[in-house]
Amino acid sequence: MHWQSQQTPLDDESPVNVTPLIDVSLVLVVILLLATPLAFESSIGVKSAQKGGKEATTKKQSLRVTLTLVDEQSVRVNQTLVARDELMAALEPALDETEERAITIACADNISHGAFVDVLDKAKRCGANGIAVSGR
Amino acid sequence: MRAPSVPQAPMLTRINVTSVIDVALVLVIILLVTAPMLDVADLDLDLPGAHTRDVEEQSYVSVTLGRNGDMAVENQEVGSVEEISGMLSSRLSEIGSQESLVVVRADADLPHEFVRRVIEQVRAGGAQRMAIATRQLEGE
Repeated sequence: MHWQSQQTPLDDESPVNVTPLIDVSLVLVVILLLATPLAFESSIGVKSAQKGGKEATTKKQSLRVTLTLVDEQSVRVNQTLVARDELMAALEPALDETEERAITIACADNISHGAFVDVLDKAKRCGANGIAVSGR
Repeated sequence: MRAPSVPQAPMLTRINVTSVIDVALVLVIILLVTAPMLDVADLDLDLPGAHTRDVEEQSYVSVTLGRNGDMAVENQEVGSVEEISGMLSSRLSEIGSQESLVVVRADADLPHEFVRRVIEQVRAGGAQRMAIATRQLEGE
């Protein structure tokens, strides 16, 4: 028996054109490379100094915790001086004693913005609800 | 006497625009999504790291403080701290809402005294809601 090769309609079709797929993929890669640094930005909400200051004067002392950055490595929680690395351990019980878990943060002039934000971050992680930044 | 006719290949009369349309549509969609992100000044700065992610808003007015003390309200550079409140006030008026979030993007090494002066200017510019920009850190 002799088999003859027959040309099927499929043989007439051209291969899949992947050019547009590659175009779109490359454009996506380039744009994602450019946008990635912005995508990893976030922010921590704070109250303005004046607003926070007014609120602070109207609240009882027992309703808020006052944090004061004395230097880059030391923070005063109400009247207790603690190392910045140990802030969370000292802040959590202090916040538990308050009703609103509100915090007022004061910072010395020569402290870096990075240290200030680190304290903000730790306060948020301890469950602080409202954070007011004090003027001085 | 007529010359014999030579058979000619059919002419290609259509241009394949599918790939062009694909790329154009993807560009439009990506630009729509990333447009709010691109409204920040391209100053040299290293944001302070933080684990918490507090404010999640796609649209905000940015005030950027670069490593060298350069300042900008959105894309417009500012010459002095005192100019920030005026520029911010006019920007918030353009948007038509004082409730718009204002994000202060400041370099981690800047002294807090400088950042605080800018925060005071932001408040003087009429901002009702404010946040401090951070770089998202992984894990706890």
